[in-house]
Amino acid sequence: MSEEILTSNFFELFGLPVSYRVDLNQVQQRYMVLQKQVHPDNFANGSDQEKRISMQQTSWINEAKATLEDPVARAIYLLGLKDIDFSLENETTMDAGFLMQQLEMRERLENIQSESEPLDRLEGMAEEVKAAATVMMDGFVKSFEDERLDEAREWIRKLQFMQKAKKEINTLIGDIEDELMS
Amino acid sequence: MALIQIAEPGESTTAHQHKLAVGIDLGTTNSLVATVRSGEVSTLPDSSGQHLLPSVVHYAENAIHVGSEAQSYSVTDPLNTVVSVKRFMGRGIEDLAVEETHYSYEFSETNSVIPRIKTRAGDLSAVEISAEILKALKTRALETLGDEINGAVITVPAYFDDAQRQATKDAAKLADIKVLRLLNEPTAAAVAYGLDSGNQGVIAVFDLGGGTFDISILRLNNGVFEVLATGGDSSLGGDDFDYVIAQWMIEQAGMDDMGDPASKRLIMQQARAAKEALAGAESTGVSLDLGDIHWQGTLDREILKALIMPLIKKTLMSCRRALRDADIEKNNIDEVVMVGGSTRTLAVREMVAEFFECEPLTSIDPDKVVATGAALQADVLVGNKPDDEMLLLDVIPLSLGIETMGGLVEKIIHRNTGIPVAKAQDFTTYKDGQTAMAVHVLQGERELVADSRSLARFELRGIPPQVAGAARIRVTFQVDADGLLIVSAREENSGVEASIDVKPSYGLSDSEVETMLRESMEHAEDDMHSRSLREQQVEADRVLEALDSALAVDGEQLLSDQERSEIMDVRQILVEVKSDTDKEKIKQTIERLEKACENYVARRMNSNIKSAMQGHSIEEYASDERSEAEES
Repeated sequence: MSEEILTSNFFELFGLPVSYRVDLNQVQQRYMVLQKQVHPDNFANGSDQEKRISMQQTSWINEAKATLEDPVARAIYLLGLKDIDFSLENETTMDAGFLMQQLEMRERLENIQSESEPLDRLEGMAEEVKAAATVMMDGFVKSFEDERLDEAREWIRKLQFMQKAKKEINTLIGDIEDELMS
Repeated sequence: MALIQIAEPGESTTAHQHKLAVGIDLGTTNSLVATVRSGEVSTLPDSSGQHLLPSVVHYAENAIHVGSEAQSYSVTDPLNTVVSVKRFMGRGIEDLAVEETHYSYEFSETNSVIPRIKTRAGDLSAVEISAEILKALKTRALETLGDEINGAVITVPAYFDDAQRQATKDAAKLADIKVLRLLNEPTAAAVAYGLDSGNQGVIAVFDLGGGTFDISILRLNNGVFEVLATGGDSSLGGDDFDYVIAQWMIEQAGMDDMGDPASKRLIMQQARAAKEALAGAESTGVSLDLGDIHWQGTLDREILKALIMPLIKKTLMSCRRALRDADIEKNNIDEVVMVGGSTRTLAVREMVAEFFECEPLTSIDPDKVVATGAALQADVLVGNKPDDEMLLLDVIPLSLGIETMGGLVEKIIHRNTGIPVAKAQDFTTYKDGQTAMAVHVLQGERELVADSRSLARFELRGIPPQVAGAARIRVTFQVDADGLLIVSAREENSGVEASIDVKPSYGLSDSEVETMLRESMEHAEDDMHSRSLREQQVEADRVLEALDSALAVDGEQLLSDQERSEIMDVRQILVEVKSDTDKEKIKQTIERLEKACENYVARRMNSNIKSAMQGHSIEEYASDERSEAEES
């Protein structure tokens, strides 16, 4: 059945070597080629079976693309291929200094709306988060390529915090901009 | 064994026959139907030359009127004349607080969560009323084109949630229209514009209709329209402009409120007329003549702009959010496309131009652009353009999640994820021997269940009894290309498929739709019989045609001689049976043939994706050749 494809790995699906370094242009190009073959619109007049398989295949391709394009999701997926698990049960404690930093940042975010020029401050924090994430990403790539997988996993756990912070900052920026407009 | 094409003597092959497909814009204020004929796309007029069908349904003593005829009863018989029914699609009773102030209906008190409007034809849901509009459009298409319609693309606001989309599809089912695809309105508009200019780049579609607002950011590339982000408000539109103008008028006239339903309709009509007049003039006279109120005044563009400013600002907020979601800067937008009748209001155009810092495109009639795009897509989907490269890739507008402990929502699929998409989530039991489990599915961006839209409650049953925490129930949330959710569940340890009871929060259940269908059929039973026989015959032709063209391509490679002869045997039976008058027999034979082809179809789909995976892009070949040349 169609499950053959649904178990292929995302890198193979996009004709890429299994590596953290991904040519995003190729991802986009290959995505178009794949979609033109399998998208449900090609089977608008097809049988229910064709429609179902096409929907499953397209979902798989969309999931693959989203994973390959997101640096953190891609890293987690790569670690998963090497049997490194990210489920919560296996969490070890993280380094205390890092957690303190996270708490501080959280507090700053909570109070930011009462400060003057909150937008500028948020933009500043976004820059900080971005810089920190770049360092962690580099750390991950180095550990991963040297096959120090536990270390690589720790970098990604920290990166997940950064990703969450980035999202919260963006939401706050959005809320403040909306308020300014109305 | 060589593959033999079997055709009845004298029977023409249907392979290259042009099929009729239509695009339908089911709008809040107006609806349209369009089609492609001899390569030209056009909207279809009624017998008096009108292209727009006002989305108004009037229930008379013995008849149902749709369109301008219905409109003429709007003031004299307001309670039986339904306008702007789209705003009620997929909505619950508690959503109607705002809508009730705008419109004048009586809702029946039922224990149903779906509002039903009281009319002399009974208590009607928005789905049934919308179906009347669709039937009128279908009749128009049949009369103009003189042949049966093979399928339709129906447009919906990009920001429509699952319940609103499902309601639209149910309405099509009631109107007996085969839906090829629910297409997002801004995407349809992009298609209409995109094919004109062979565009490449990033475009923003600003779509402000009578009752809904959408903003979509799309990337165009070689016929592929990829939606990057979408946003909007499914109850914001020109009707709200009319309402603020009406409020201003009664304030100026010294009235307390709009009065009874008839005067409310009249004032709203005057307000709309004034708004429309200001699209072409600096100012316009307005008056109210109601009982002992005789008021005359002037509305100019400046006052109008001030009145609607808060509403326009709301749309611009959505634009900002969509840009952020798409991760696109304003200056990277190559074109802004204006869609929907409400973009005729000058203040809207001005503020959108100011926001995006560029002059928006308005060259296609904003009322017709959506139906035009839908017709182009329908023509491709029905198979008239096998070599066409057009492909529309859409996203889910609102996040999907499930209720977790403490009334919180856990997001499973985030907004602006490309569709179709599937995500699985594992659940377990918390009691020994537990055999059932309830899942509450919600849509929206907020974190609390109370602030989100409830889509459905599912009950998983038939979980094999085990100790607490041992069961592993994998629930798969699948969103299809229409943006509709399908849920399935399976207990992983035992492989048992858990059965799911769907209770749509704001939709009609399948059995309700069936009942409505049956009721409408009872009125035309003979007609129904001959029609459904004809439908089965058409379906048989479709299946045969699809099979023949598939076999011609890869029947040799993918099937053993024995498999092929088995398929050919059943194929031959269908060829013999299809001219029978027993529709059940035809139906069963179609099913038999489809069953016989199951493995073949699966193999084809697999080889399809495999060849796409192995396919090299032109650039790769070019660089391969280069490197070989360098080596040698």
